[in-house]
Amino acid sequence: MLSEVRFDGVHKIFGAETAVEDLNLTVNAGEFLVLVGPSGCGKTTTLRMLAGLERPSYGRILIGDKLVNNVSPRFRDVAMVFQSYALYPHMNVYDNLAFGMRARGASKDLVAQRVKETADVLGLGKLLKRRPSELSGGQRQRVALGRALIRQPQVFLMDEPLSNLDAGLRVQMRAELSRLHQRFRVTTVYVTHDQVEAMTMGDRIAVMNNGRLQQVDAPETLYDNPANVFVAGFIGSPRMNFVPGRLASSDGRTSVAFLGITTPLGTGSRLTAGASDGEVTVGIRPEDLMWRPAAGPDCTLTLSADVDVVEPMGHEAYVTALCAGETVTSRFPPRSGVRPQERVDLALNPARLHLFDAQSGITILQRPPAAGAETLRSVGEARTNDSAGGRSERHGQPEARRVPSRTEEIS
Amino acid sequence: MSAVQARPLAGDKLIVVPYRKVSAAAMATNLVLILLGCFFLLPMLWMVFASIDSNPDWAIRIPSPTLANFADVLGRADALSSFRSSLILAGTTTVLTTLLALLSAYPLSRMHIPFKRPFMLVILFASGLPVSMLVVPVYQMYVYLGWLDSLYTTALFLAASSLPFAIWLMKNFIDAVPVELEHAAAIDGASTFRILREVVLPLTVPGTAVTAIYTFINAWGAFIIPFVLTYSPDNQPGPVEIYNFMGSHGLFKFGDLAVFSLLFSVPVIVLYLFMSRYFSGAFNFGGAVK
Ligand SMILES: Nc1ncnc2c1ncn2[C@@H]1O[C@H](COP(=O)(O)OP(=O)(O)OP(=O)(O)O)[C@@H](O)[C@H]1O
Ligand SMILES: [Mg+2]
Repeated sequence: MLSEVRFDGVHKIFGAETAVEDLNLTVNAGEFLVLVGPSGCGKTTTLRMLAGLERPSYGRILIGDKLVNNVSPRFRDVAMVFQSYALYPHMNVYDNLAFGMRARGASKDLVAQRVKETADVLGLGKLLKRRPSELSGGQRQRVALGRALIRQPQVFLMDEPLSNLDAGLRVQMRAELSRLHQRFRVTTVYVTHDQVEAMTMGDRIAVMNNGRLQQVDAPETLYDNPANVFVAGFIGSPRMNFVPGRLASSDGRTSVAFLGITTPLGTGSRLTAGASDGEVTVGIRPEDLMWRPAAGPDCTLTLSADVDVVEPMGHEAYVTALCAGETVTSRFPPRSGVRPQERVDLALNPARLHLFDAQSGITILQRPPAAGAETLRSVGEARTNDSAGGRSERHGQPEARRVPSRTEEIS
Repeated sequence: MSAVQARPLAGDKLIVVPYRKVSAAAMATNLVLILLGCFFLLPMLWMVFASIDSNPDWAIRIPSPTLANFADVLGRADALSSFRSSLILAGTTTVLTTLLALLSAYPLSRMHIPFKRPFMLVILFASGLPVSMLVVPVYQMYVYLGWLDSLYTTALFLAASSLPFAIWLMKNFIDAVPVELEHAAAIDGASTFRILREVVLPLTVPGTAVTAIYTFINAWGAFIIPFVLTYSPDNQPGPVEIYNFMGSHGLFKFGDLAVFSLLFSVPVIVLYLFMSRYFSGAFNFGGAVK
């Protein structure tokens, strides 16, 4: 049974603090939506409102077609993995897992069977007789996860369910969760701080900051076309470089000057209607800023820079360098032999530039999708349907939303 | 304090530190503590010695041992009936207080109630009031209601006077149970009743036990209220009986008094030991939340 989840103008205000502000978000039926954002931005509050543990100050929450604002958690049919685990300390693992099914009146045999299946999936088989206080942090977290997975709810809410697992187990659990989702397609809202989890697991990613939804899009779209400086800086590691630049147009061609060079904008890129000549913020992802000898032919721009720090990561190296007075980070191949204080040539493909309004931080450039990166996922379509439904899910600052989303071809 | 301190950490080996200067302040503190300790210990010592002495008096001295005092007390009907009275009085008080404290502490801990803080402060203040202040008006009230000389109505007043502190204590125990557990259970589909029965109650058992024991010990030792509110010999609880031993029976039987006091202290000592055990485990919600 697939259920859509909808937040409609939802606010949550705690005294003087606005934890969630005007949230408009639809999680499609069967979708795996990843919710990311810095600490304290309102992710847990959003989940708690959806679970019914917190009542929205304003706005409506719908699960399926049903308005659930006044429905108690018990009858919402959601399962939640708590950030704090919230395991029953006086029950052993078996009873912790079985609690929900028993409360819903499942037969003893069915409970036993499901507990066994769930425990096997999570590698808890040998721990069923233990109490939570006798488990390690990672084991507790798996019990917390199991308590949700044992059920077949309309919606899964997971608040950083893998944060405490070691790297190997995390990869394994990530795959397991993805597989379970492929199989049962239960609508899921998944909070994480892990970039890899966000990019690999989510049908779409929702980025929040300061209680406001910034952008919701498929991972590749979000990565290639971040709606504003915040999203651009938040998604991607190492962080995108931001440097000041100037936009100028003459003879119908627009060019941008930054880091001591000037380049016309790549073909196919469109400036948004709000863009005008003058100050802009130029965004360059570290992997787009390459070591000249390692760069391909489409990297037509060359910048020279003084290496400051080299951080070898094994399969690559992050090089921080000073370029025209700005500090930029670039991804180098592993054994480039580059050392600090050395002068190096960096190469850049102008088509990979990101441009943002210098004041509002909102993107002023619609880049064409990268070759081969057409939306592979069914959810990409789901999102299109959504916007067709008239609900805008791209948020910038308020003025951005007043601007009609008209774009103009610039080449 | 220049020397390193010895710190026996739980699970750690005791690290023995060679030398530690004893400061004057520490010595003074210990002296005062020893003196205070004597005030409590000497009467107890007297009680123990006198109880097995064949010819006891006011003085503490090495007894010429006998069990005659025990035989004497255990043969006295008034002594046995006062035990019965004490049990009824303290038992009824404990059941009433604990039940009411649990029921009022839960909402006080979990719900948004207007003026909760001032209300809790009033409760705390009330728990500090000496009940003897109220004894005269309460006596008049009991006369008016015809409630005098019943152990159960007396327990009612004892319960009322021990309730404020019990509520305060109980609320703190319930506060210590993470509310997220109740949330998790609600999301798991449990009814309010099921949440209370299977999550909240099991986790408040230690706190409830402590509250009950505390109330019981207080009621067991209560003197002024039963002294004023009961009069027939059958309804005299232990502390009042001890007073009677000393006062009205003419002949002063030190041996009986000591034996009776000793026997009467046994339940309190046992419960104290039990409680100190429970206290250490009362907050053990290990593994519940991060
Ligand atoms: N019960 C509450 N009372 C007051 N303020 C609250 C309450 N719950 C949350 N907040 C505030 O709301 C904001 C959002 O909190 P929330 O727990 O949703 O953050 P989060 O995105 O989950 O952060 P993290 O990644 O650290 O878990 C925070 O600033 C927090 O201080
Ligand atoms: Mg959180």
